[in-house]
Amino acid sequence: MTESRVVLINGASGGVGRGIAQACGAAGWTVWIAARRSVEGTQVAAEVTARGGSGHFVECDAAVAADVDRAVATVIATSGRLDGVVLNATSGLSPKPVVFTDVPIADLQDHVAVSLRGLHLLACAVHPHLRTSAGSMVVLTSEAGFEGKAKLSVYAAIKAAQRGIVRSLAREWGPEGIRINCVAPLAGTPAMDSAFEMDPEMAARVLGRNPLGRLGDPETDVGPIIRFLLSDDARYLTGNTLMADGGSCPIT
Amino acid sequence: MIASQVDELVQLADALHAELVVVPGCPVAIDDPGGVGAAWADASAFDVWRAEIAGGDPVSTVIVAVWPDAHASAPLTGMSAAEFARRSEWPFAAWYAALGAAAARCADGGVIVALAERPSPLDCAGWAPESGCGDAVEAMVRSLARSEGPRGVRVNAVTTPVRLAPHRPIPPPPSLPSFPGRIDVEVADAVAMLIGSGTSGVTGTVVHADCGRSWR
Repeated sequence: MTESRVVLINGASGGVGRGIAQACGAAGWTVWIAARRSVEGTQVAAEVTARGGSGHFVECDAAVAADVDRAVATVIATSGRLDGVVLNATSGLSPKPVVFTDVPIADLQDHVAVSLRGLHLLACAVHPHLRTSAGSMVVLTSEAGFEGKAKLSVYAAIKAAQRGIVRSLAREWGPEGIRINCVAPLAGTPAMDSAFEMDPEMAARVLGRNPLGRLGDPETDVGPIIRFLLSDDARYLTGNTLMADGGSCPIT
Repeated sequence: MIASQVDELVQLADALHAELVVVPGCPVAIDDPGGVGAAWADASAFDVWRAEIAGGDPVSTVIVAVWPDAHASAPLTGMSAAEFARRSEWPFAAWYAALGAAAARCADGGVIVALAERPSPLDCAGWAPESGCGDAVEAMVRSLARSEGPRGVRVNAVTTPVRLAPHRPIPPPPSLPSFPGRIDVEVADAVAMLIGSGTSGVTGTVVHADCGRSWR
């Protein structure tokens, strides 16, 4: 494991983001939780500290430029540097089933604001600091972005768009020593539980195609993969998408 | 053909002898910081437009191409919020509305082809919004292929970098000297192939009509 790092994870007050924070905490890293929910985010920060890291919380709406700028400034003012960034925030509408031809276009706004505008805002805010640290950024995408989904078509398109943007950013940032990658996880989370509740047949579809036969654990299955990408151990990896899904998505 | 009012797509409609239905233009001014919110405030106009298109007689073939006004390449972190909205947010919404209209209008057993701009992976620096939108269209097409497949509708995509290709591509050179291709030749040929009967078992597929510059 590489030396201690200072990382910022947005959308980390629960689910996969929480697992990533816990995994980074277990490595002794300084972990900033950036999220809208202060009670839950503060709790995750405490979990990071309990695992041997240094956990902190900063309130942040990923779709609001002033919030993103303030969160990054707080990290720099307090910890002095920023080595890694994880964009995990996603719209609360992500697990909601939709019919492609009927979705009110205004309903796309929340997805776009959090995941596309949010990526632009975060990239702009962290760019100078990652350049200084020769740091790394990870964007959480999804197998849905490769395959498309009949009932989650907005979510699938958003996740694909993030992957395309990351591909370009890897080429723009590479000469400056900054790496950026995507991870497409499949993990047991409250969001996945919600999706299963909204679509009762989904559990059978999801698990039936997974050669490992189970959902990943956010802390022990998915978190270490993101931690690896944030570390120097992955210093020759950029512009990639790692499928942390138990072999579920057959794209290779 | 449901498409933006840009020269290349008018040319393509002529080459394919297709009727052109124009997608509404982007309301966000590139230098207007407040334009991002204003554009989304008007998003319901897309719903009205989509309903009008969907209400027409069913057609067997629909080609969809949402291309924003041409832009110069630029690093993502140098873009203003308004520029990002013009190049990323609005095209995403417009593509979703246009493909939804196409699916509603397409007859059972018909075919939909999306023609998206997408830089090849080697040439994608400076084109982050376009890379993102190109990949988003691929996912939209695969989603529609799943939802419309049970009624026999095939949905595929063609990508092209005709407006995005660098004058001097980095090595290795493109496989064909005709790179990045011409809208009325290489691109039209790929679209014609996918709407033809010779691809009756093909759906959810993406063809990169970029003269061999992309291999995935």
